[in-house]
Amino acid sequence: MPQDAELIAGMIRGESGAFADLYQKYRARLHQYALSLIRSRMEAEDVVHDVFVGLAKQASEGRMPRELSAYLYVSVRNRCVDRMRRKPELPLDDVDLELMVAPTGDEERIAASRVLNRALLALPVEQAEVVVLRTWHDLEFSTIARMQGTSVNTALSRYQYGLAKLRKELAADGR
Amino acid sequence: MDDERIEQLLRGYELPEVSRNLDHRVLREGGAILERARTRAAIEDFGRSLLQLFGFGYLTWLVDLATTTDAEYRVDFV
Repeated sequence: MPQDAELIAGMIRGESGAFADLYQKYRARLHQYALSLIRSRMEAEDVVHDVFVGLAKQASEGRMPRELSAYLYVSVRNRCVDRMRRKPELPLDDVDLELMVAPTGDEERIAASRVLNRALLALPVEQAEVVVLRTWHDLEFSTIARMQGTSVNTALSRYQYGLAKLRKELAADGR
Repeated sequence: MDDERIEQLLRGYELPEVSRNLDHRVLREGGAILERARTRAAIEDFGRSLLQLFGFGYLTWLVDLATTTDAEYRVDFV
């Protein structure tokens, strides 16, 4: 997979292949991130759609972000926060989505994934956000703190609280 | 179970599947936007070449002088 800079250059030249590669590179992570914030499959898809279409529009006007990865994450976050302000949070019982998927055939891990998924969704949004970004997306705490508009220590605390709650849920389930 | 064990456990799971519908929507719309931009640029280039060919190159120079800002000559990072 080419580097972001090459893909950006390709998009500015109007190459739809570069856009497709860039989308492939980030789609799954941004989709999961949006799901962890907005907790609605349809809205998460709309957010990811709007972010990438917005990026294509910028490229068509000769404008592109300097730090693509950071730009994409912040765009997803801003759009999710905006939507969350406009609609009430769904009760957990009404939320039917996965933030992670277990490998097929492994009964033990599939069962554990249900517990963990449920526990992740039960976390306060800002804790789930740190856990998702740190665990699957390998973002530094300093980056996460900047995105959340908080201090590194707060981001770290949210992460630790989040993991502690997941641990508790697993223990309650006998794991 | 310590934090490290939980982290390992979480990392062992894959990200949720992205729907084909989303892939289709994004690639179709984003691709079309870039395609339109490329076509627009190609038409502009062609028009300029024609004007140059027929000795009206000064017209493109005048238009550029009147309409183009510095930002249009470079990629504007936001």
